[in-house]
Amino acid sequence: MKSQKSIGLLITYLVIIGLGIVFVLPFLYTVYTSLIPMRDVNSLVGPSHWSFGSYRKFFTNEAYNVPRWFMNTVIMTGIVVLGNLVINPMAGFALAKLDFKGKKLIYWIVVATMMVPYHMILIPVYVNIAQIGWMNTFWALTVPFLYQCQYIFMLRQFFISVPSELIEAARIDGMTKMGAFWRIVYPLGRSSMITVAILAFAGTWNSYLIPSTFANTPDMYVLVVGLNSVKDLFFENTPLIMAGVMLTTIPILLFFFLFQRQYIEGISSSGVKG
Amino acid sequence: MSDYQSVSASAKHNRIKQSWLRTLADSDLTLGWMFCLPFLILWAWWFFYPFIQSFTQSFTDANFTALGRAKFIGLQNYVQILHDKEFYRAVMHSLEIVLISVPVQTLFGLLMAILVNQKIKGKGLFRTVFFIPYITSQIAITTVFMMLFKKGTFVTELFGWFGFGNVTWFADTRYALLFVSILFIFQQCGFTMIVYLSGLQEVPKDLYEAGEIDGASIWAKFRYITVPYLRPITFFIVSVSTIGGFQIYDQIAAISRYGALGSPAGATNTVVTYFYQHGIRYMNIGYGSAAVVLFFFVIMAITFLQKKLIDEKG
Repeated sequence: MKSQKSIGLLITYLVIIGLGIVFVLPFLYTVYTSLIPMRDVNSLVGPSHWSFGSYRKFFTNEAYNVPRWFMNTVIMTGIVVLGNLVINPMAGFALAKLDFKGKKLIYWIVVATMMVPYHMILIPVYVNIAQIGWMNTFWALTVPFLYQCQYIFMLRQFFISVPSELIEAARIDGMTKMGAFWRIVYPLGRSSMITVAILAFAGTWNSYLIPSTFANTPDMYVLVVGLNSVKDLFFENTPLIMAGVMLTTIPILLFFFLFQRQYIEGISSSGVKG
Repeated sequence: MSDYQSVSASAKHNRIKQSWLRTLADSDLTLGWMFCLPFLILWAWWFFYPFIQSFTQSFTDANFTALGRAKFIGLQNYVQILHDKEFYRAVMHSLEIVLISVPVQTLFGLLMAILVNQKIKGKGLFRTVFFIPYITSQIAITTVFMMLFKKGTFVTELFGWFGFGNVTWFADTRYALLFVSILFIFQQCGFTMIVYLSGLQEVPKDLYEAGEIDGASIWAKFRYITVPYLRPITFFIVSVSTIGGFQIYDQIAAISRYGALGSPAGATNTVVTYFYQHGIRYMNIGYGSAAVVLFFFVIMAITFLQKKLIDEKG
């Protein structure tokens, strides 16, 4: 019985380490290749060959404007995350704690919208954006995405769990319901807000379909779209492209390591990405 | 005196006005709608209106270059799509991606969840490692894999041992679709793992203990306790992955260097690239919208079918 257990443990370790290698290898390849000169690609060379030259080259190349792409990404992601942190909690709170005519309809709208893939409306949204002159502007990249029904649904679940007595107590102290929401209930939902912020951050930062469709001039590219075009232009320069991959993904990885717990809770409770 | 009086009167007036406003603003009806309004405006403008347009435009010959002159043409777009060989090829490609990747990532996700749920060292690290591809830009991952699956690299040579040709995978019409599926599997496993993990942690421990008393083997416990418990989660995962598989776009856009979407030679053309190509690149809004509406119904049908299948088995 005991030996059977230890054999089981050995197999567990072998399988998990094997899978771990498969998952880590592409990452190690990226880090390593981004540091070596082009002539050493696909061969192992010692640290004396390593440098950050490709990173510098990616950032300062005259053929494209990476600092601008970086700024574009930060602006787009920042606005979308902020919008989602204001609009969704308000609607989520109303659906959870307020009793009003039309609430059922709004709840139904939220649930039904969650089930429709974005592809379904991409063409008309594209046409509408072009018609009001928003092509290649931050308006197009942010305004339609300031809310997200998945997050409203998630936050509604959270607000339901907040005891109503808390709001009543705040009202006895002379607060309006609105005051009670912003000053008591909202801060209480800190960890849910962080989850929404991370999901919205990752979803927006990584998005390709929308920014590549609504902003297609090089000076309005975001990092992911820019990376893809650099890759097409300089496909043979693997170190340069790997440096680009690193610079595009590092901010997301940092964010993930900071808020890993909330992120994973958010995923497992709702099963949504950005 | 009069000054004082007027100040006090206006303060009183303010208080009355304030309390009247306050009562109104504090009612659930006002506040409820006020709090939902920003969402509802954006939703009506950027979801509902375009959603309706997708349907209405699919019955017209709307073209981006001549929007004002669009006219009603009935079901003509649909007829034309259903007569287009490329459309069927695209549907088959989408199905192929889903059929390859969904079973693999469901099984691997379950395996990973079981592994990181054991009492072993470094399970937190492994969980993180398996999960990271899910939060990484798909363009970035595809870019890395394109470098790894070029002709002559150690990865293609490794796959060569299993009978795959030593070729640049994404540029080969035989392997390009498999390449996209591998990317999707690599991305999605971590998500599957996390969802299964939350399910595994909810299986009551005393069920296993009861099983042990009855002398059940590890396999029997897995088969008769874990699997039935995870059935609803499996349904959720299979639905999400299937819908996700049908929606794949980034990976295909990334491997289509310079060329038309769905390169090489249309080998990775899917339902999504089909409508994108027609509706946005070629600007045939009406035709593209009709393809989107078909895509929508296909997804709805599959979700429905899956639910029925899993319910019957259970």
